[in-house]
Amino acid sequence: MGAAATALVMAAGMAACGAGGNASSSDGAETVTVLVEGGGKAELEPVAEAFTEETGTKVSLVELPYDGLYDRLSSEFSSGSVSFDVAALDAIWLTGFADGVEPLDDMFTDEVQADLFPALVEEAQVDGTFVGMPVWTNAEILFYRTDLFEDPKQQAAFEKEYGYPLAPPTDWQQFQDMAAFFTQDTDGDGTTDLYGTDVKGAVETEWLAHVAQAGSPGMVLDADGNVIIDNAEHLAALDFYTEAVADAPEGASQVDWAAAQNLFNQGQVAMTKFWAHAYPQIPEDSKVKGKVGAAPMIAGDAGIGAVPGNWYLSIPKAGDNKELAQEFIQFAYDHNDLSIDSALGLAARKSAFEKYADQPGYEHFEALIATLEGPATMPRPANAKWQQIVDTALIPMLQKAVEPGADNQALLDEAKAQIEEILG
Amino acid sequence: MSTLEVRKTPTRLLLWFLLGSMVVLYAFPFLYLLLTSFKTPLDALAVPPKVLPDEWTLANYERALSREGVLASFINSVSAATISTVLSLVLAVPAAYGVTRFRTVSGRVFVMAALVTRMIPPVAIGVPMVGMMRALGLTDTPTGVAIAHTTISLPLSIWLMSSFLESVPDELDEAARVDGAGRLAALWYIILPVVRGGVAVTAIFAFLASWNEFLFALLLTAIRAQTTPLVIANFQTQFGLEWGAMTALATVYSLPVILLTLLLQRYIVAGMTLGAVKG
Repeated sequence: MGAAATALVMAAGMAACGAGGNASSSDGAETVTVLVEGGGKAELEPVAEAFTEETGTKVSLVELPYDGLYDRLSSEFSSGSVSFDVAALDAIWLTGFADGVEPLDDMFTDEVQADLFPALVEEAQVDGTFVGMPVWTNAEILFYRTDLFEDPKQQAAFEKEYGYPLAPPTDWQQFQDMAAFFTQDTDGDGTTDLYGTDVKGAVETEWLAHVAQAGSPGMVLDADGNVIIDNAEHLAALDFYTEAVADAPEGASQVDWAAAQNLFNQGQVAMTKFWAHAYPQIPEDSKVKGKVGAAPMIAGDAGIGAVPGNWYLSIPKAGDNKELAQEFIQFAYDHNDLSIDSALGLAARKSAFEKYADQPGYEHFEALIATLEGPATMPRPANAKWQQIVDTALIPMLQKAVEPGADNQALLDEAKAQIEEILG
Repeated sequence: MSTLEVRKTPTRLLLWFLLGSMVVLYAFPFLYLLLTSFKTPLDALAVPPKVLPDEWTLANYERALSREGVLASFINSVSAATISTVLSLVLAVPAAYGVTRFRTVSGRVFVMAALVTRMIPPVAIGVPMVGMMRALGLTDTPTGVAIAHTTISLPLSIWLMSSFLESVPDELDEAARVDGAGRLAALWYIILPVVRGGVAVTAIFAFLASWNEFLFALLLTAIRAQTTPLVIANFQTQFGLEWGAMTALATVYSLPVILLTLLLQRYIVAGMTLGAVKG
């Protein structure tokens, strides 16, 4: 009984304030509260520290899991009362939350726009109004095994079979050739133990990148919101995507980002298309550590194309601290390169990437810049129901498409009907 | 060996098989969680999956426990769960006692109505809860989280305590009152010791409801009062999932409730059988 009473008294004591430190400053200094997804917190920490050092204003970074951040934002925006001054928003949320955030048009000067990749500028606007300032971006680039690509025996064998030198692929045909070539039984035991690439059936972004490379006027939706998922470019991209199943490990329908990253890090595949931030994150115990090269995303008929993974800083209309919030966002833009010196090592401004591109450890930046500037690189459609479209129509369709004997055109037609139903 | 025993043996074997299957079914996910917490990043996500690590490591525990805010979140979880459990019991025991002793129609309706509130999805009351807590100045405090969690545990606590108290004969109350005890004294000194197993079961359910709750903690906390389920979820980011560290922290976080359950096992078993035989 005594122990229970002691525990209760201790719990009551902790309950009064909580054990996690102060959310608002107790020393009278102003505080900017920033809601940020767990993976992005590291990106903002150096900026927050510098902001506090320069202005004396504290920055409280509230870290939430990805899905949780969306739920938290939804509930706070719908309640009309918010607990934060700035929110880091995934690009696909901007349209849905646009009514609840302040316009930032005055921050997007010509100089600012010139230092941002085109897709970031395009995605920052909802109905012609800038609603978020890019804070970091990412894109899938090509990772390849240098120990294989630079092996004279492999080079000779490839050239003999395909009639051109072995080098990181730049287009669909070369990618297919190399994926087929590197699908090998390296130890001669009669079983394939090296695959050319992976096929990610459980995520949609990579297929969308191929849709852009194929030259579609939009991904899934056109500029007017019409569903165009059944057009020739979507079909070409799906055919290209699923043909690689023959040169990929089994179980493509369940392969997501984590699985694909691990297949590559385990040395099971020769090439993977993956988000650029993963380049410096290859584990020390990985079979491929120190043997990986980075190249721009491959090109289709419309050139290099990718889906940028952009994040934006926005200010809630219901916030209490809007001037300070804007000051922080301006500071984050001005000191965008600080984010590169973080666990994720990403930024949003071209100049920030270019500053580091020729430094050791940042070899992937050149490929990332080329990809983000690719003529076919385009953002995902600005539609509030985009996540629902992805979860309900796109991923199930891809999972069926990577199974043997799938009728890709029929699957696209079926997806079109589902998406039209979602959009009403 | 008698015919009866021979006939019993296959049945017993079948029962042992079913029991063993159930144990494997329930224990394997936790065992896999535990084993994953000792794997290297490559092993944790090996394709195809590996049950046993190739190389055993404690690095995940180091990484998980050294993460900023983990200790604070643990203290917050303990605080919120303890307060919520106490609140639930303090409110549920008298409520259930009143309902089972006075046996009015409205009392029966009240117990049913309390149970019906369990059918409302928490997300439906999340938004008004945020506004209410903000108006009371209780956001980002374990007290606010505990009160929110009590809305989940209280209905079940009332219902559980009602079923336990129902099994206690009225004669015990009457005897206490003949000896001069008031209603509350009879409840405290006579009835509660009889149903302490039931109280233990109710307390554990209330504690677990708060300990594992995610949504209200997500909506109501920022920095000061974040609970451990939120910190565990933070290992899943847009850029991937840190399986090793996540499973390490989840393992550590599950230990207190396992210990609590083992500690109170005697009372739990007593509580489970309470009311099974009515005199």
